Amino acid sequence: MPALVVENLHVHYGAIHAVRGVSFTVESGEIVSIVGSNGAGKSTIMWTLARVVPLTGGTILLEGAPLPDLPHLVVERGVALVPERRRLFSALSVRENLVMGAYNRKDPAGAARDMERCFTLFPILKQRLAQLAGTLSGGEQQMLAISRALMSSPRVLLLDEPSLGLAPMIVETLMETILKIRDEGMTVLLVEQNAAQALDISDRGYIMETGRIVKSGTGRELSDDPDIRRVYLGG
Amino acid sequence: MFLQTLVTGLSIGGIYALMAVGYSLVFSVLGFSNFAHGAVIMLGAYLGLALAVKLHLGIGLVLVGSIVGSGILAVMNERLAYSVLRRRKAPSLYLMISAMGCSVFLENLVYATIGSRFYAFPEFFSRQVVQFAGSSLSLLDLAAFIVAFLAILALHVFVTRTKTGIAIRAGVCDMTMCSLMGVNVDRLIMVVFLLAGAFAGVAGVFLGVKYLVYPTMGWVTNKAYIAAVIGGLGSLPGALVGGLILGVVETFVSTYVSSVMRDVFSFTLLIALLVWMPNGLFGSDTEEKV
Ligand SMILES: Nc1ncnc2c1ncn2[C@@H]1O[C@H](COP(=O)(O)OP(=O)(O)OP(=O)(O)O)[C@@H](O)[C@H]1O
Ligand SMILES: [Mg+2]
Repeated sequence: MPALVVENLHVHYGAIHAVRGVSFTVESGEIVSIVGSNGAGKSTIMWTLARVVPLTGGTILLEGAPLPDLPHLVVERGVALVPERRRLFSALSVRENLVMGAYNRKDPAGAARDMERCFTLFPILKQRLAQLAGTLSGGEQQMLAISRALMSSPRVLLLDEPSLGLAPMIVETLMETILKIRDEGMTVLLVEQNAAQALDISDRGYIMETGRIVKSGTGRELSDDPDIRRVYLGG
Repeated sequence: MFLQTLVTGLSIGGIYALMAVGYSLVFSVLGFSNFAHGAVIMLGAYLGLALAVKLHLGIGLVLVGSIVGSGILAVMNERLAYSVLRRRKAPSLYLMISAMGCSVFLENLVYATIGSRFYAFPEFFSRQVVQFAGSSLSLLDLAAFIVAFLAILALHVFVTRTKTGIAIRAGVCDMTMCSLMGVNVDRLIMVVFLLAGAFAGVAGVFLGVKYLVYPTMGWVTNKAYIAAVIGGLGSLPGALVGGLILGVVETFVSTYVSSVMRDVFSFTLLIALLVWMPNGLFGSDTEEKV
């Protein structure tokens, strides 16, 4: 059963028609990326999936059932969002951010295990547990943002520009980490400006332009497509 | 004389701090000045008075009754007057206006039903004194200070050690992300008002016992507002320290200078401090890194 089925999605911000009839599917265990230029509507789709931004048309199915319509209920159903620009609780410590990630969990043992797993993925966080999140470096903040989302033990992970502001080498590690997370059984929907690397690790991808999906295919097909190479991959 | 004045100042400061905490909590979570907080304090005092006079309860049970009653009242206040605006994402100015409306409504409700008379609490221990280092210190003043201190300490432990408390602080940072952690925002805000109301109840009883109970007694929350700003809006240690500083300074000014100068001093202190430290003593401004 597909993890996510989005059908004919429309989102408006007042008079601005940001998402104009978008449909896509994410199968369980897939990494799917959405690539597109600035203002295409990618983040809007992510916020809509988290039920923070209301949709004005269309349907969203999560594992075959309608997506609940409040953010905290979406989390309960196993969806976690790492938003653009991270949005950490900057006045809280690293540990408290992770505790918040596990807020709705009823299994303390599982949460403790997941915290250890985050330290395996990002060892630096373990040394920074007492530090305020707002004082971490950009890269450390990104690691914390991903870890915070993983702490809810989601089945579907929504990543909005996780590579933003990271050094190229760290981006590479990040992509490997995303593959690792998927191999542990998670479904990943990835939005990236870094199209080459995103498509590289993706099973499938969608290209967005001004609120519409203009192309779709496997990660390989898209990164080999001459039009896409010219516009998004720099030649 | 000095020690006596100091203890009186600390007790008044403790009451300011109790009021400042409730005020500060709502401000930091919802971003508006809850002017109805003073009215909740006033009703808490009336409730405590009723329990003391009609049911002849002791100070302990009076406090418990007022805490519960004011807590529920504050939650109802939020449900009836703020939640609709909040869900429509109305600008905070609208919430503030709604709060002023609530304040006027509740005060006039008391005028219309109970009347404008001033009431005094039965004397629990207002005349009792303890001798210490040659000064006679009022037991009431000591109790007010100690209860205020312990209540704020308890709240501090709550917001730093419990999951709900951490969620409140997370909500202060970013309420949207807080909901994306699985927090039911409506329920969290209910807890915040319950806490603010509970603190209003304690403040109302001590204010009533120390002075009198009357419909506009909640106006002293102006002072609590100053205390909260001095300490740094949204900071708990700030509310405590700001309240204590204000209470002590005021008492010393009225004792050693003149009571007419008291409020001039408070406001001068506020303005001077804000010029030097725009965020107050404990206010923070951690910025998001991009
Ligand atoms: N809160 C908002 N109010 C009004 N318009 C908005 C809002 N958020 C986004 N928009 C508009 O909606 C459109 C899509 O924005 P969105 O953030 O989804 O783009 P994006 O594809 O994520 O871009 P980027 O790659 O730059 O992050 C843009 O034209 C943007 O100006
Ligand atoms: Mg975006």
